[in-house]
Amino acid sequence: MKFWGVRLLSFVLAFGFVYGLDVVTQTAFPNLYRLAVLAGLYVTLAVSLNLINGITGQFSIGHAAFYMIGAYAAGFVSQHMYASQPLGPVLWLVVMMAVGAVFAAIAGIVVGLPSLRLRGDYLAIVTLGFGEIMRIVVQNVDPLGGAYGLNVKPFGEPPKILWLVWLLAVLCIAVCRNLLKTSHGLPFIAVREDEVASAAMGVKTSSVKVTAFVIGSAFAGAAGALLAHSETFISPDTFKMDVSFIILTMVVLGGTGSITGSIMAAVALFAIPEWLRTMQVMIPGSSIVAGILAVGIMVSGFRWVQNNYHESVSKRIGAYLACVVGAAVAAVVLSFVLAFIPQLAQQRLDVAMLRMVIFSMVLIILMLLRPQGVFAHHEFSWDWLSKVLRARKGVTA
Amino acid sequence: MNETVLTLTNATIRFGGLVAVNNVSFSLQKGDLFGLIGPNGAGKTTCFNLITGVYRPTSGVIDFKGQNIGGLPPAKIATLGICRTFQNIRLFPALSVLENVVVGAFLRHTTSLASALCYLPPSIKETRALRQEAFELLEVMDLSDVASVRSADLPYGKQRRLEIARAMATQPELILLDEPAAGMNQKEKEDLQSTVRRIRDDFGKTVLLIEHDMRFVMGLCERIFVLDHGEEIAQGPPEAIRNDPKVIEAYLGEAV
Repeated sequence: MKFWGVRLLSFVLAFGFVYGLDVVTQTAFPNLYRLAVLAGLYVTLAVSLNLINGITGQFSIGHAAFYMIGAYAAGFVSQHMYASQPLGPVLWLVVMMAVGAVFAAIAGIVVGLPSLRLRGDYLAIVTLGFGEIMRIVVQNVDPLGGAYGLNVKPFGEPPKILWLVWLLAVLCIAVCRNLLKTSHGLPFIAVREDEVASAAMGVKTSSVKVTAFVIGSAFAGAAGALLAHSETFISPDTFKMDVSFIILTMVVLGGTGSITGSIMAAVALFAIPEWLRTMQVMIPGSSIVAGILAVGIMVSGFRWVQNNYHESVSKRIGAYLACVVGAAVAAVVLSFVLAFIPQLAQQRLDVAMLRMVIFSMVLIILMLLRPQGVFAHHEFSWDWLSKVLRARKGVTA
Repeated sequence: MNETVLTLTNATIRFGGLVAVNNVSFSLQKGDLFGLIGPNGAGKTTCFNLITGVYRPTSGVIDFKGQNIGGLPPAKIATLGICRTFQNIRLFPALSVLENVVVGAFLRHTTSLASALCYLPPSIKETRALRQEAFELLEVMDLSDVASVRSADLPYGKQRRLEIARAMATQPELILLDEPAAGMNQKEKEDLQSTVRRIRDDFGKTVLLIEHDMRFVMGLCERIFVLDHGEEIAQGPPEAIRNDPKVIEAYLGEAV
């Protein structure tokens, strides 16, 4: 059977990839190990939220709640039961992932049911409220550690589970991709596109929506279970509203509905602030103001090119480069000029301190220049890329 | 041929104090080409919404092949064999033309979601079969050349035709067309007339359609039902309707 051969090969390749990633990170970049684990978890979270938000179009902004439910359910069970059962650490972790997934999936049904009657902004408010309610409940339940948090150290030392984290991410991606590859994915998109019309075509809109919530939250729950074990400590503060918003940002920025977009946005948005955190460079305030102004100039230039300059691809790229160069020159000149204002020049700030400012600026710029997300509804593929480039050329032809 | 498909008996719906459809009764035989006409706001689309389950009738019975479907959910009614198009086109804009039709055909899927999520052979095979089926339908509807185009990018007339194709893909017994000729030019209207005839003659469907264009309806339908202010004012073959004083009054106003 050719089919099963290919299937087996892809399993082996996926497993080899995640295991290789683990070994390489452990030996070559031990400092990055924890970050690589978190990045993998964010990929899972973004792709699973993309199923709910992007593919099915149910605007949910409480994804951190499912993450938290999975983490606490698995953490609590693990802490109390690991010692009294025969499974080894790896199998136990797999079981814990299932526990986290089941609990989060049940929560997904609870949130999915109101989504049958609410749409758009109203559903967003409900999911947001659900996330906060769950967090505050956990904060006040003493067996779960309350505000102090919960220790999850069933194995003594933290387990090396980068490979398991990324295996979950690959599984989540595979499930979403399979859904879109078969005709079973079409009802999900149909519900996003037009609920009334899809119902008239015989799509059971209620069960589609609840299914999306269940699958999406189950993956978030499994990710939570792995987070609890790899961090060995979780507290309600780990799952604040801003986590939900970061995941949502990843989905929107990558392009709602695009799996590859979510993956890339998850890695990028997780990496940028972490990378900036390591930049311990002091910059005078005048240069910061100059930099912000220069970015403003560059973005307005880009927007002008986007809207008014319909030349060939090479000319457009040239125009964009001119904007970048112009902005760089403006930055140098402005920082020189602004240095004459002593209040600005004497104030020195650390880049690491500014990381959230830079992060939000990147978001604003991307939303200004490409509001439909980097990949819009598309998936990244070389075919798609070449089509886009050819279409651009077609403007002048 | 004399098999009753759909019967409305005293169907009524009230929105607060407004009676949108009042005591409407008519019945469709298998293979009918039935027209539903009336001035603006007469309650024609509301009638469609009653039949397809968007609204629940306040009173009265809507009988489809011996089963009262009044108040069933729309998806259930679609499964039973009634499908519709919309007055203001409601395609799935981001999906391709072919995929739009597959959504209709998906009604008859047999594989489970779990099998699709694991990408198992049965669901792959089914996907292929449904796409093939949809493509054949597109060929019949003369849309196969634009199969991979995003449906939002289609010209207006083709969008209307795609809506009919999508409804046909559910393989309904009864197909409801809500103003299919709206906004079309004369040539497109003639094409549409022959398409609707083919739906009835070649596919054996029963057709119920709402239309404002009198020439279109009179030339196409064998029986016509006239609604005004939610009530029946006439029912019968086109010639009788054309000369009915009540109908003329409803459309042109009272004789002086």
